[in-house]
Parts: sequence; C-alpha cells; structure tokens
Amino acid sequence: MNSAEFLVNVLIFPGGLFAIMLGLFLTGLDRKIYARLQRRVGPPICQPCIDMVKLSQKETVIPKTANYTVFRLAPLLGFAGMLAAIAVIPIAGIYSGLYQSGDLLVILYLLSTPALALVIGASASGSAYSSIGLSREISIMLAYEIPMLMVFFTVAMRVGMELGGTAIFSLSSIVDFQLSKGPLLLDLPMLPAFLAFLMCIPGTLGVVPFDIPEAETEITEGPLLEYSGMGLAMFKLTSGLKTLVLSALTIALFFPTELGSFWLVNILWFIFKCVVVMLFTNTLIRATRARMRIDQAYKFYLLVPTSLALMSLVLTVLSFRI
Amino acid sequence: MAEFLQNIVKKSPWIYRINAGSCNGCDVEMATTALIPRYDVERLGCRYCGSPKHADIVLISGPVTAVVREKVLRVYDEIPNPKVVVAVGICPISGGVFRESYSIATQLDAYIPVDVNVPGCPPRPQAIIDGIAMAIEIWRKKF
Repeated sequence: MNSAEFLVNVLIFPGGLFAIMLGLFLTGLDRKIYARLQRRVGPPICQPCIDMVKLSQKETVIPKTANYTVFRLAPLLGFAGMLAAIAVIPIAGIYSGLYQSGDLLVILYLLSTPALALVIGASASGSAYSSIGLSREISIMLAYEIPMLMVFFTVAMRVGMELGGTAIFSLSSIVDFQLSKGPLLLDLPMLPAFLAFLMCIPGTLGVVPFDIPEAETEITEGPLLEYSGMGLAMFKLTSGLKTLVLSALTIALFFPTELGSFWLVNILWFIFKCVVVMLFTNTLIRATRARMRIDQAYKFYLLVPTSLALMSLVLTVLSFRI
Repeated sequence: MAEFLQNIVKKSPWIYRINAGSCNGCDVEMATTALIPRYDVERLGCRYCGSPKHADIVLISGPVTAVVREKVLRVYDEIPNPKVVVAVGICPISGGVFRESYSIATQLDAYIPVDVNVPGCPPRPQAIIDGIAMAIEIWRKKF
C-alpha cells in the first residue's frame, strides 16, 4: 500500500469525510426514529450537522480550575482514535482494511480511546460532577470490556480452528473467511457471542440503560459538564463515529455479506446494515428502558454477556475438538 | 454569508432552566412544554441540556430571592455567548405573589439583561413555546 492510498483511506474513504458524514447521519436518524417512537415529529435528520455548526460558532469557556492544555486536547484524542478505528475495519466487497494481521487487537485498543478521552478531559476540568462521572465511566468500561474481549477471542478461535490453526486476530481474514463460507451469524454456537456483543454496544456508546456516566438528571452530563463550543462538538462527533465503528465492527465480525460486485450497491447495503444494527442496539433500547444504577449495570455486564460469550467459546472449542 | 450562517444556527437552540426560588409551578409547565411528546419542541431543534456550558437559551423562573441571587448570576456568567434570557412567569417580572417579601430584593432585570418576558402564574405551555420562538429570533441576530 503506498502513502497516497493510505492518506485517502484515513482522510476520505472509509475514514475521515465519509465516516463523519455517515456518523452524523446515523445520529440524526437515531434521534428521528426515537421521536417517532414517542409519536413526536422529531428533529430533521440533518440536526446533528446543524448542532455542529452552532457549537463551532459558540464561545469556548474554560474553567479557572482546569488544566488548559489537557482540557483542550482531550476531545481530539477520542476523535482521532475513532477515525483510525474506522479506517482499520474492512467493509465486505469495497474495502479490505488498513492492516492485514492483528487488526482485531488494534480495534480493541482504539475502541477504548473515546472513553479514555472523556476520563482525561473530565479529570482535567476540575469539576466535582465530572469526577463522579469519570469514576463511573471507568467502572462501566471495566465491565463491558471483559465480554467484548471474549467475543473477539471466540470469533478469532472459530475462524482459526476452521482454517486448521490457532486463533486468527486478523479482521480481513475473518471477513474473507465469511465471504467464502457464509456469515458466522448463521452458525449456532456463535449466536450467544453475537447476542453478547450486541449487549456490549449500548454500554460502550453510553446510551440510556447504561448512560450512568453522563446522567443529565443526577450529575448534569458528568464528564461533558465543563465542555462548550468546539470541545463539546468534538465529543458529540466522536460519539456519532463510535456508533458507526461499533456497527461496522458487528457487521465485519458476524455478517459481512456483499450484494453483487458493484461498489455503490455494496456501500448502500453496508449503510443499511449499519442502520439495522444501530436500531436494535441503540434506538429501540433507548426508547424502552430506564437508566440503571452503576452497580446494576456492572452486575449485568459481568453476568449476562460474559456468560453468553463464555458459552459460545466453550461450544466452539468443543465442536472442533470432538 | 452571515445571513446563511444565522439561518442554519437558528435551528439548534439548546435550552437550560434556572430555578431562582420559584414555587415550582412554572418549572412544571416548562417540563411539560419541552419534554412531553404533545408539544415536542425538539422539532425546532431545541433540546434540554443539563449543563449551563452547553446552553443557548436560558429560562429563568421565580422571584430572585436574596439567597439564590449570587448563584443565579454565577450560573448566568458560565453560559457561553451568544445567549438569550427568557423570564418565565410573573415572579421574575415583579415578584408576583412574593412581591414585597423580606427575602426578595428586586426584579430579575436589575441583575441580568432579560430578552423575553413570558408573564403568567404559571404561563400556558403555548405561551412558553411562543417565548422560546421569540428568543430564537433575538438569539439568531447575535451571531
């Protein structure tokens, strides 16, 4: 891969421009569907773009107690992490990913950057509410990363063992394997892992049953409390990108199918699948559930998704050993 | 260019509420105005925010009591410019039923520039939405 191609992949497609537009579109669609579920008219789908323009025109207030440099740079960290993550994930039939080996592990690290950016920004802002928010953010991160790691490992084992070796941590090999042998979603032992991964997504995104770190009504948006103007816009953009990254990752791990070989059809098919994943892991749950307490969320993640992922791992290993 | 920008920006006013010693009547009306599906101000792009740092339009209710005055001024200062103030209910205008009480100094616009007054005890939700719509027009011109 030459450097021009690398720059295009990170800055225009699928990272950069394309990812930002799609991320904002997904956020807007989420808000619209959420409003329709409550029988409201709802904001227009381009509302997140309008919010971005407005926030960029607002004054940026920096608290006297804040560490200026860290406070200003923290939003960039999460944003950059997400842009890199979307460039790493392959899209079936269009794009084969930035790296050829070990990129599943890279994704695991990149996925934690937005949460870390929130934690760093919140601790630099010097506000009491932010520090409550950041401690909650760290606890919920510890809880959802365990099942998520186990799901990654299960998929890697499944693909690796079928190919006659050990676990393969390469997303492009996983996608190629599924394109030739059919999606992993149709494989019965993988179904619990799929459900476990879907359960991890709302916690990672911080949407309603698990929005404990940013609870508006009790700790007034927690880590985001002191941010205004561009910094806030950056965080909102990052959460839109995170929705996209997690949807694309679910698609790459469990059902990377392609429709024909024409690129435009494949892109539309990919966007459609992203919308479906977002609908079931974000919008519908947000509209029907109420916020949990931090201990309930912690217990939930350590019990339900972890045991589902473990079940899937054991079933997969057994089905190849016997 | 400025006109174009103003037309985009006016579709995204975020709302923040300050209770300056109100009896909670106006707060209940505000919550019903913007939060329940029936009136749906989100279609205007509005949304409630929990932090004053995110706000564009501030709704202040209640007679500014002597105890809460300093805090209201401090929260008002934390809201990034450009911002617009809507005084909801009769209390911020004249003190309402609490007028001439020992715990109230004077009306709200002695401390903070008020852009829109929405009188009533409490005002109807429609009146509050109208107040917000007027506030959006004023706010838009400040960009």
